Amino acid sequence: MKSYSIYKVPNGKLLKIFLEYNEKNNNIESLKITGDFFAYPEESIETIEYKLKNAQLKREFLLEKINSIIKENQIKFIGLNAEGLTEGIMMCLK
Amino acid sequence: MKEQWRLLITEDNSAYTNMAMDRAELVSISRKKAPPTVRFFTWKPSAISIGYFQSLKEEVNLDACKDLGVDYVRRITGGGAVFHDKELTYSIVIPESHRQIPKNIIKSYERICGAIIKGLKQIKIESKYVPINDILSKGKKISGNAQTRKEKTVLQHGTIIMDVDVEKMFSLLIVPNEKIRDKLISDVKQRVTSVKHILGEEISFKKACDAMKIGFEEEFNIELIKGDLTGEEIELTDKFEKEFFSTTEWNHRR
Repeated sequence: MKSYSIYKVPNGKLLKIFLEYNEKNNNIESLKITGDFFAYPEESIETIEYKLKNAQLKREFLLEKINSIIKENQIKFIGLNAEGLTEGIMMCLK
Repeated sequence: MKEQWRLLITEDNSAYTNMAMDRAELVSISRKKAPPTVRFFTWKPSAISIGYFQSLKEEVNLDACKDLGVDYVRRITGGGAVFHDKELTYSIVIPESHRQIPKNIIKSYERICGAIIKGLKQIKIESKYVPINDILSKGKKISGNAQTRKEKTVLQHGTIIMDVDVEKMFSLLIVPNEKIRDKLISDVKQRVTSVKHILGEEISFKKACDAMKIGFEEEFNIELIKGDLTGEEIELTDKFEKEFFSTTEWNHRR
C-alpha cells in the first residue's frame, strides 16, 4: 500500500515521507525521506532508506533501528531527529 | 599581513553552472589548489533551487517553470526551495580545518552569517542570525543559507534578497492546497523582506557586492582579492554541469 505523510518536526523542519508497505505484516517495502532538513553526510539519507527496507512499522522498533543506523554511520541531522523521522513514518500508517 | 582569500564575482550564469561552480571550487580547495574563496553571483535565467533532500515534483511546478522560462536545479546542500530572482547569492568554500571555522555546524552557520550581517550593516540594514539557517531584519527573513561539508571542506551558500515577487514565487512552487494559496502568499509577505523594501530603493549588484566584501573581510579579518577560477575549476565546472546539475537523473532523483 502506498502512503504519504507531512510532519513538521518540533523545532525543526518539514518532513515529507513517501512509504510503501505490506498491509498484511506492516513491513516497509520502500521509503523516501524528503524535506527541507539537513543531514551530514547528505548521502546517508539513502543509507537510512535502504536499511529500513523490510523493517516493521512499530514505533519502538523503528526508533531503535533509526538510532542505531545514525550511530553506526555517524549521521548528523539538523532540523530532524530520530524521533521526528519515526513519527513521520508512523503517520503514514492510517 | 592579513590572510588573503579569493573573491570571485560571476554574474548571469545558469542555475546549472552556478551549482557546478560551487562544487568545482569545493573539489579544488579540498585538493589545496586554491585558497578559501568567496563568490558573489546572480542567476540568468531566474531559477528555483531545491534542497538535496526535497522531492522536485512535490516542490516545484515544472509546467509553470517552463512557461515562465525559469530553470530548476537540485543543490548539494539541504534546506528548502528558493526562487533565485532579484538577489545577490554568495558562496564560501573553505577547509573544515581552518581556524576560523567552528567544528560545530550551527556555530559555523552563525559565523559565516556574521559576514552577511556585517555586509548588510554597510548598507545600513540591521539584522541578526536566527538558527538554523536564516538571517532576519526587523523580524523578517532577508537571507537564507545552506551548508554542506564534503572532502573535509565546508561549502555554504545563501541568498541576500534584494527584491521579492511573492506571487511569482508561488506560481512556481507547488502549494499543497490551492484553497490556502492566498493565505500562504500573505503569510510569506509577512515573513520575508528585502533590501529594496527596507531601504525604500533598489541598490545595484555592484554596491551590494562591495558591502558584502567588507562584511566578509571584517568578520574573518582577511583581505578578499579579486580572482578567477583556475583552469582545473573551469574544467570541473563543465564536467559537474554536464554530469549532474543539468541532468534529469540528478534533478529528479527525489
